[in-house]
Amino acid sequence: MEEPSKFERYVYKNDSVYHYMKISLVLENGNKYITDAQFKQLITCGLKDLYGEVGASFPFDLLKFDQNELTGILRVYNSGLVKLWSALTLLGSYQNEACAFRVMQVSPFLLALSGNSRELQFGDQLTL
Amino acid sequence: MSPELEKCPRSLLVCEKSNFLNEKSRHDIHVSKHNFNYKISVLIPECGILPANISSVIHSFSPYYLVRDLPVYQLLEETFLEPLVKKGNFYALSYNTKIDEDNAIALLSSGQLILSLDKDTYEQLGLEGRPSLYNHKKAMRFVVTLDLTDKSLTPGTKRYQRVLSSLKDRLPLRYDFLFTKYNTGSDEDQTLNKLLSQYSYEEHKPAFSQHTLKNMPCPTLYPSDIQGKTLSCDPHHFLEWLGAVNLDISCENAADSFLSTYVCPEPQSSVSQALLCTVTGFISPENVFVLLQELRQYFDEPKFTPWISLTVHGFMDSPVSWGATEHGFLKGGENLYNFVCFKNQDYWLHMATGAQDGCPP
Repeated sequence: MEEPSKFERYVYKNDSVYHYMKISLVLENGNKYITDAQFKQLITCGLKDLYGEVGASFPFDLLKFDQNELTGILRVYNSGLVKLWSALTLLGSYQNEACAFRVMQVSPFLLALSGNSRELQFGDQLTL
Repeated sequence: MSPELEKCPRSLLVCEKSNFLNEKSRHDIHVSKHNFNYKISVLIPECGILPANISSVIHSFSPYYLVRDLPVYQLLEETFLEPLVKKGNFYALSYNTKIDEDNAIALLSSGQLILSLDKDTYEQLGLEGRPSLYNHKKAMRFVVTLDLTDKSLTPGTKRYQRVLSSLKDRLPLRYDFLFTKYNTGSDEDQTLNKLLSQYSYEEHKPAFSQHTLKNMPCPTLYPSDIQGKTLSCDPHHFLEWLGAVNLDISCENAADSFLSTYVCPEPQSSVSQALLCTVTGFISPENVFVLLQELRQYFDEPKFTPWISLTVHGFMDSPVSWGATEHGFLKGGENLYNFVCFKNQDYWLHMATGAQDGCPP
């Protein structure tokens, strides 16, 4: 049995290397069949259109993708957050069909994406 | 490329390490001060079935109530004040009000009523408050704090009359509210129900779910190394991994994968199974504390796992995070904390907040 430990306290400010985004793709004519690779490629194209090859040359991860709901969780370095978010905002079409990305939640902590109190809905409430 | 594009909002992570048996341990204070809890998740590695004692604690969590269109002045009426507000263990939070757009109202167990108001509402209401700490250039949000247990707000005093008339006549504010009360004795069970009977309300039990995860990598944690310098993985990576487990994100990706390069942090080991259970609703800190006490007892018998974890998420739109520390929503409203409990009763406590939050206590 280890010895009980002494009290320690550390405060980390802006120490999270990544930001995490929960996003959803909305298509004008209803859901299409889109694979995870196509989803990521769509975002990469959007980034290149806005910032060029060099400007878009930062990595981001598609941590999770739900094919039915067309929702995904992205992980990006802090320095790329604004560029990625702006590219998502301005992305308007997929295969000549109008579309829009909705950014549902952004956080420096992935854990925070699993507990969004704005999702607490009851019966006859309007969905957000 | 402009350096402005590479900025991002500020975040804070406080990591504390102590032992539950230590007299000066503040784990009880941290839990009790975090008034509004939306979701709790418990992760127990090397466990397939939720132990009966933990299950029974979770199923005996207090119910919460959604009250429709309640006038805010009612919280000051004597019928509410004496049996509920002054006795404590009673929490109220306006429902479906966004802290960055709308007015939000919160009643803490200590009897403080917090009104986070936009400029127009604040000016019309005419109560004394202060500008929000998170205003940008112009003061657009104000916070009014009323201590309902203070002598100056006893029913009958001038100040009480003034506050009541502002909320009742000058600007009658009405919102949907979430209420919960932790019952310390069985005779108090019916008080809240009687008072609510004049309004449209629904009673809810916190929603419970559980999953057993199989064959997954799991970070190695040693109680003595909270910073993750040698024996454990570092706190940010650990919290990221916990997020991945909660969100069902794969931790086994190749470094050159197109989609995701996320992997479980080192040092790690493989576990054959792990239990993840979640409770969602409007949960009082007292319930969280009882659960924490029960989780501590998990190690009373020998177990394969050296640690278990309890995560508690706060409400994004609450006007306060810990105690009466102001909370806001910039790009996110996270205010969460996580306990890691070890065999020897050591614990780690991680408290994470976003941009518009004071430093956790």
